[in-house]
Amino acid sequence: MRVFHFVLFTLTEYIRSGRILVEIIAAAAAFYIFFLRYTVQADYFFSTAGVLVLILTFYTTSVILGLGDRPQGYVLLVRKLGRSGYLLGLYLAAFIVEMGFYGVISLATALLNPAVDLDIRGWVLGTIPLALNVALLGALLMLLTPIVLTASWRLVILAVVALAFSGNLIGGPILNVLWEPIRVALDVSRTIFSTPLLPAFTGFSLSVTRDYSNFNIAIPFAQLSLTLSLIALSMYAFSKRDIIFSSS
Amino acid sequence: MLAIDVQNVFKSFEQFAVLTDFSLKVTTGQVYGLLGPNAAGKSTLMHMMLGFLSPNKGTIRLLGSDDLERVRSRIGYIPERLQYHLRYTGREYLRYLGQFNDMRGSRLEERIADELRAVDLLSAADRLLSTYSKGMLQRLGIAQSLLTEPEMLLIDEPTSGLDPAGQRELLELLGHLRSRGHTIFLATHYLDEIEYLCDQVGILFDGKLATEVDVAALRVPGGSVTLTVGSMNPEIILRLQRLSPAIRCNGYDIVIQPNTTVLQEQVLHTLLDEHIPIISLEPQNRPLEELYMRVVRREPLHTDKLLTEAEPKSLPNGTAEPVYTTDTAKETKVSGEFDTTQIATTTLLPGRPKKGETLLRDLLRKEDQNNDSRQDQE
Repeated sequence: MRVFHFVLFTLTEYIRSGRILVEIIAAAAAFYIFFLRYTVQADYFFSTAGVLVLILTFYTTSVILGLGDRPQGYVLLVRKLGRSGYLLGLYLAAFIVEMGFYGVISLATALLNPAVDLDIRGWVLGTIPLALNVALLGALLMLLTPIVLTASWRLVILAVVALAFSGNLIGGPILNVLWEPIRVALDVSRTIFSTPLLPAFTGFSLSVTRDYSNFNIAIPFAQLSLTLSLIALSMYAFSKRDIIFSSS
Repeated sequence: MLAIDVQNVFKSFEQFAVLTDFSLKVTTGQVYGLLGPNAAGKSTLMHMMLGFLSPNKGTIRLLGSDDLERVRSRIGYIPERLQYHLRYTGREYLRYLGQFNDMRGSRLEERIADELRAVDLLSAADRLLSTYSKGMLQRLGIAQSLLTEPEMLLIDEPTSGLDPAGQRELLELLGHLRSRGHTIFLATHYLDEIEYLCDQVGILFDGKLATEVDVAALRVPGGSVTLTVGSMNPEIILRLQRLSPAIRCNGYDIVIQPNTTVLQEQVLHTLLDEHIPIISLEPQNRPLEELYMRVVRREPLHTDKLLTEAEPKSLPNGTAEPVYTTDTAKETKVSGEFDTTQIATTTLLPGRPKKGETLLRDLLRKEDQNNDSRQDQE
């Protein structure tokens, strides 16, 4: 209940501060540009909305976690809410705003320009992996926020993510000229570090296809597991480190 | 029982040591003031007590427990610099803070109303905090800290950033808190907050507790007081100077040096009896300030020889001379020597109660009462 109240507290402040206007304007613009003027297919809807909501997740999660990184937080942290409740509340508030953005786009599309091949069941099946991807990205951003990890640890995580994505930059002919042990080490590292990204990519694909046959049913569980792991890691890191809020 | 027990704490940020082998004990029910210059580490210590920061070395026990996360709900905290969320009304804000502590329903609403009433904010309870003055925000800070009826209060620079009227108002409110029996730990760099509120004071300097003394022991006369008055005729000047050789009249100034409460009272009575207007009464000494300055200048201290006032003995010509005794049994933790007879001239901050004002006010009130009763009898 404490976390629930803190989520309400954070959302109230977010709305009263006027920052919610960014999401409202973004939703209106996205709907007008991407969904009103075309014949909307289900695949198009989920791929486009999936990308838009992920882009918005970067903004909203950063802003809401930034609200938590102020000296005002000390008065809240001395309550029973505690560090874990504080961090989780910020994360959930951001997730609610992001899914609210997606909900507004979905509702507007359904009312004003419904997708020709999408019913409620299909919408739910496409929304589950999409929402889990938003939760996953939010959890990663929370881990990388300055109140959770120190600058050096954030650099390490970013380096790992960069390494996982490095296939596009260091591949083919460039890879071939590298000394063999380095090439092997790079390949192994990429394989290891890109594995955690699999649920995110396959989740995006599942959202578009909504095909839960065979082992695809495992994808949302993988997304959920990875999300919970990142949240747990963030909470652990936040509970162990010195809390020095910005401008304090 | 010890409310705060800090043992050999070290804390550094990167290579910069803030606290080095810092130890402190505060007993339950005590009002303890930690005095120190800006950036001495007062807020760092308080944040360590609240569990926001971890010491590099050493232990901190609050209310008998070293589990600071768990004990935190029994502590009220008033932060420095009015750090509150301003987009809520006073009532909403306190309601949320109560809910974060598992309070709810009518009990919570009653507590909110009680605390808002106690800090005189009930009429502004439904206004947004962004419309509150700084003084109102700091009063709200007191209300939020007391909402859960904590056993101990940690107060960080309570009057920082307030105007003189706001400072005085807040000090009076904090003065009322003493009567509620909380253990209070106050960090400040204002000497008069310590003098007004605290039982004991510790001075934090160079990362250590440089010295620790009872505030009552510092409230000793000695030094001098200067009264600025209206014009006096030579006869009155002579009468004053006959009271004691410690009294010197110089134009519109009367200097009493060394000063005693009795001598000061005699002078004031004489002036009031003769209807001489008293323009100001300025104490020219502050033992706490002197002690503080000696600490920060790294001069020797001598707190085990604090002077206590005795009744003035009569001199052959009927005048009185102050006599001082030395209380060497005083238990104070010192790291040097401090002599309260060597007292610097100081100027008090505007808007704060001045020493001697109370006595003057009492005398004037008595005069008024006497005049009233005389008029009634007539």
